[in-house]
Amino acid sequence: MSSFRVACLCLSFTFVGVAGVSAQEGPYFVTYTHYLEEPGNLEIALANTSGVPKNNNSAYSAPWLELEYGVTGWWTTELYVEGVTTRRDGNGFTGWRWENRFRPLRGEHRINPVLYIEYENINEASRIQKEILGSGAIAYEPIAELRQSPAHELEGKLILSSVVHGWNVSENFIFEKNLSAAEGVEFGYAAGVSRAIGALASGTNCHLCAENFVVGVEAYGGLGSTLAFARVEQRHYVAPVVAWHVTDRSTIRASVGVGLTESSDHYLVRVGWSYELPIRGGK
Amino acid sequence: MKKAEARLFVTTVALTACIASLVAQSVRERDPAWTAPSKDAAKANPLADQSGVLAGGRKVYGQRCTTCHGDEGRGTDRALSLVAADVQAQTDGALFWKITSGNTHGGMPSFSFLPEAQRWQLVMHLRTLSPDDGSRIRARNR
Repeated sequence: MSSFRVACLCLSFTFVGVAGVSAQEGPYFVTYTHYLEEPGNLEIALANTSGVPKNNNSAYSAPWLELEYGVTGWWTTELYVEGVTTRRDGNGFTGWRWENRFRPLRGEHRINPVLYIEYENINEASRIQKEILGSGAIAYEPIAELRQSPAHELEGKLILSSVVHGWNVSENFIFEKNLSAAEGVEFGYAAGVSRAIGALASGTNCHLCAENFVVGVEAYGGLGSTLAFARVEQRHYVAPVVAWHVTDRSTIRASVGVGLTESSDHYLVRVGWSYELPIRGGK
Repeated sequence: MKKAEARLFVTTVALTACIASLVAQSVRERDPAWTAPSKDAAKANPLADQSGVLAGGRKVYGQRCTTCHGDEGRGTDRALSLVAADVQAQTDGALFWKITSGNTHGGMPSFSFLPEAQRWQLVMHLRTLSPDDGSRIRARNR
């Protein structure tokens, strides 16, 4: 990645920082719920996944910028750009993703399905790990080498989400086809539970009130592919998550994922900040 | 990013923007099919006798509702008036159900992620909005 690209990426992130991030934003990083972006709103989010690998591999940080737009009440579209920087293996731009979520049912049900489809134009250096699929550890070669291997991927998810006695319970079933390589169809999962800490809203504007916090836990990992299940090489994580609604429109999220298998990294530390901006109509 | 990839990226963004502008709804219409089930409509507000929690409802309204419904609930081009007679005529239970359930076809998000108590606080606040005089309704009530 040229220094110019790094500068552009940093500048974008700085701008986001200045502009502020979503009040409806849940605490999860990987698991999706049935809540879509409000129609006419643009959510700008900046997040980072930092990995602490095993076997003396180089630690890394993978930042991404996310633009999420509520087209209608039943369709949300998102664009991601992502990069990676490592302690010893270099850094670089790792690609972009275009994601769409569709909610087929009108209202709230016991189980709320959402259909998800995403196109990824990334390379093998991608480490944001917005989802984990298939099997095998991350490739720890120099980033410049990994960037030479493009990956055009098509990903689908079935998102099921419910509200049970104030708890959000969500399950995602993930499948992906790499159009650039014969890897078969890879599978993965994500599941989470979370709830708001407070019940009644206080009448005052407070930043640290319990009502501004949502806590939970999510689990995610790969489940092999049509070519191999490879159970011992799969990566699985469990991560406590917390979201803090700092202001009406901005949310900070954090989680520490703990690797559960030999192929997993020791930890995945994630932080994110999002800001919701009404850009179509409204007051 | 290589030239071909950049072209694909720009094409994708442009295509999305075009489709989005075609599909996006800017004017809201009343959705006559969006009615609360009778069991939900019959629910009473458990906070009804706790006037001390009203301020919290006002705050939640300011956080979640004003962008679309306006500060005074009189509607904007994104959502309809909440002070119109046919909204205010609905039961507390019906309003609670609509806040909870949302209506993806009509552009109303689901607010089931809010704690139940906060949704009832919202209903309390809706009852305090000044009734519309009929001349300021910007759109039909849904």
